[in-house]
Amino acid sequence: MIDVNNSTYHDKVVIRLIQFSVIWAVVAMTVGVYLSAELIWPTIDFGQFWLSFGRLRPLHTNGILFGFGVSALMGTAFYSVQRTSHVPLFAPKLAWFCCFAWQLVVLTGGISLLGGMTSSKEYAELEWPFDIAITIVWVCFGIVFFGTIATRKIKQIYISNWFYGSLIIVIAMLHIVNSLAIPVSLTKSYSIYAGAQDAVVQWWYGHNAVGFLMTGGYLGMMYYFLPKQAGRPIWSYRLSVVAFWAFVYSYIWAGPHHLHFSAIPEWVQSLAVVMSIILLLPSWASMINGIMTVSTAWEKLKTDPALKFIVLSLAFYGLATFEGPMMALRSVNVVSHFTDWTIGHVHSGALGWNAMVTYGTFYFLVPRLVGVELHSVRLANIHFWLALAGTMLYIIAMWGAGVSQGLLWLSIDEIGELSFSFKDIMSSMTPYYALRLVAGLIFLGGTVLMAYNLFMTLKGRDAVVVKVPPVDPAYGVNS
Amino acid sequence: MNDRSYSFLLFKSLYQPSIAFEELAKVDPSPFNILIRYSIWLLILPPAFSLIGAANFGWRLGAAEPLMLPTNTLVLVSVAYLCVLIFGLLSTAFISRWMASTYGASTSLGRHVALITIVGEPLAIASVAHLYPDVFVNILILIPTMIWSMYLLYKGIPIVLETPPERGMLMASSLVGWLLVAAVSLLGLSVMLWTLGVGPLLGV
Amino acid sequence: MSGLSLHKKLEENIGLLIFGILFVSSLGGLVQILPLLNQDMTEAAKNTRVYSALELTGRDIYIREGCSVCHSQQVRPLIAEIERYGPYSRAEEFIYDRPFLWGSKRTGPDLHRVGGKFSDDWHRVHLVDPRAVVSESIMPGYPWLARRNATQAGNIVAKMRGLRYLGHPYSDEDIEAAPGQLEGLKEIDALIVYLQRLGTAYTGERSQ
Repeated sequence: MIDVNNSTYHDKVVIRLIQFSVIWAVVAMTVGVYLSAELIWPTIDFGQFWLSFGRLRPLHTNGILFGFGVSALMGTAFYSVQRTSHVPLFAPKLAWFCCFAWQLVVLTGGISLLGGMTSSKEYAELEWPFDIAITIVWVCFGIVFFGTIATRKIKQIYISNWFYGSLIIVIAMLHIVNSLAIPVSLTKSYSIYAGAQDAVVQWWYGHNAVGFLMTGGYLGMMYYFLPKQAGRPIWSYRLSVVAFWAFVYSYIWAGPHHLHFSAIPEWVQSLAVVMSIILLLPSWASMINGIMTVSTAWEKLKTDPALKFIVLSLAFYGLATFEGPMMALRSVNVVSHFTDWTIGHVHSGALGWNAMVTYGTFYFLVPRLVGVELHSVRLANIHFWLALAGTMLYIIAMWGAGVSQGLLWLSIDEIGELSFSFKDIMSSMTPYYALRLVAGLIFLGGTVLMAYNLFMTLKGRDAVVVKVPPVDPAYGVNS
Repeated sequence: MNDRSYSFLLFKSLYQPSIAFEELAKVDPSPFNILIRYSIWLLILPPAFSLIGAANFGWRLGAAEPLMLPTNTLVLVSVAYLCVLIFGLLSTAFISRWMASTYGASTSLGRHVALITIVGEPLAIASVAHLYPDVFVNILILIPTMIWSMYLLYKGIPIVLETPPERGMLMASSLVGWLLVAAVSLLGLSVMLWTLGVGPLLGV
Repeated sequence: MSGLSLHKKLEENIGLLIFGILFVSSLGGLVQILPLLNQDMTEAAKNTRVYSALELTGRDIYIREGCSVCHSQQVRPLIAEIERYGPYSRAEEFIYDRPFLWGSKRTGPDLHRVGGKFSDDWHRVHLVDPRAVVSESIMPGYPWLARRNATQAGNIVAKMRGLRYLGHPYSDEDIEAAPGQLEGLKEIDALIVYLQRLGTAYTGERSQ
């Protein structure tokens, strides 16, 4: 049965989400650079509460995760779910609501963090009114996404949609369970969990927010846009299927490795170590799948500056997903925990993997959305080297700082006395923090170049109207 | 055994890397020859510098006074350092050759060993910083050197291994992935040894 | 039905796929979290005292200012840590901690056993201008804490009622007396009272 279809894809909302995402990237990374400067010159908060490190830092993480990250994921999910389903978005008005409501939540939520409204739970700092707002927008996101899949004209649900789907479902579950609290005023609530229970619930959330948002969601992006850019099907579809289920199953267990040597039961910690190591397999399976897909499509690199970012992002993805399980081992964690090594690890993922795969996708997608060439390929190439140098410098500075901290804190002399005072160790970190500031500036510089490049590409142009193509009956829903 | 001289590996590669790469692309050296006659001399430098520096000044990790270790421990550490470097060079060369078929590149092991030697040479020379064993000073000198080395890697692969620049770029990125994982493994391994009681005294 | 044909069903049925993801992803959480929620700690925690109105106010200021971003409250059972900070942290010490404040980063030192280590006056100077007492410190100053009244840090009656609902043993008298205890004090006073109480709930041997 051949569909005679005159409908077109909804791409304007995709463009708008990409624009918001880029704005958040610049804002939140600038905040990050400022924070790193505060660790060198602590008085540059000028006695202003809203510039204070403790309030600014959650703005940085939330801005990156929910502003830059979720906007990009939402935009690319809306784009790819239409193409893989051969239908326009289900409930396009609701998609527009998601787009703007989400920005409003992140913006007002960010301001509330500066105002001191915080639950203090990492990556879940926003207070209860925002938690409710997030839940509402998230459910709408789910309705648009799964609604589009439910009305699809292609029988098979493509693998990228599974990853985006798991992002929506699991984040909803984590967010609701972890945010359960009793409000005592408009700006304050108390968690229904206390002490050690709260810690386990929080890191079940915290670890898997990283897992399903920054790994699962971005793998969805990779599984759609990499084969698209390479002009080839994914190297092994079966491998991606196996990797998906192994990923969904094993990631969720690994949270308590954030709580080694703490007051939670030993068996929970040990289980988390085992599952963290197993997690390496599905992580690397997806990496290999990506690398092999692109390895046969190298001619594309001649014309497309975007593919480079995705290729490099896979290398850093490989690093981050190896480093994570390694740091989950108790004998490594005893040194690395509480140090800047953790900060370095997060950034090898966030800068090297998440940001780079997003940049690659944006450089690919934006010109196509408005039907022109990228404003400047040269600027994109410069951006590539800035991003690489910034990430490397950041990781190495934090390795140096983290290993020094971990080692010196634990150092004792022959008679069992501590070798170094905390104060001395802390003040010897300044050079590393200076190096990290430089790294952040380099990476931010690249991001600003991209923002300019994409702005000039989009300027004054409107989304190209793309008609939904007819479906090959062999793959249609009634086949 | 091939007895040709490949001295361009050590000298020309420093000031005219492209020409050195092109010369390397014309030959098919024996990996053993390259390793014994050239690579090994570079690999000896970092452990030697670190031995001299640590014996005279002690390692400074930032806080408080430098860490002085007994000479026999230092010799042991330096030998281990040399072994790690040799293992690093060879394993990277083997992995690079293993990747070569995927990227349509030359599978001459000798060339892979020679290429990795050229790429690592600036780092080996910059390890002169080990003479002043302050961790931060070393990082400050070695990071720019490392960026230069990465440039050599991206530049060298397509020329030496005779593959289109685009495929070379993919291969170089894959190798960067391997090197990052290797680096972090080394870090993790050292930390594990420390917590098990080898090396500095830790209260764990 | 073979595995492959079962999977073909999942690939073609969005309802099944959603259910599959939900089922597979919830297993780990159920096994790890449910046993903990049912754990009874009343016996172990009989020495743990609930936070007073002033301590609770101080704790919420600690949360508001994001102190836990740079300071952990979790001493690990390691020789060096016990020597540096004091006895390692026990689960029963945290039963009134909503939320927990163990932290994940030590830019500054651990604070779980900080109670009683410094004088109130030292804290008062240190919180407003850390470099006046520790010249190398990179901690921000909190001058506004010395200006704002403790009563401005939220409605203490509503807070204590909320916590009582969650099982914290506050009596009606405790709650009635609470506003009076904050009267005339600044936020910095409440925060210092909280810091001085930290870690003192543990009544076991103090290791040397």
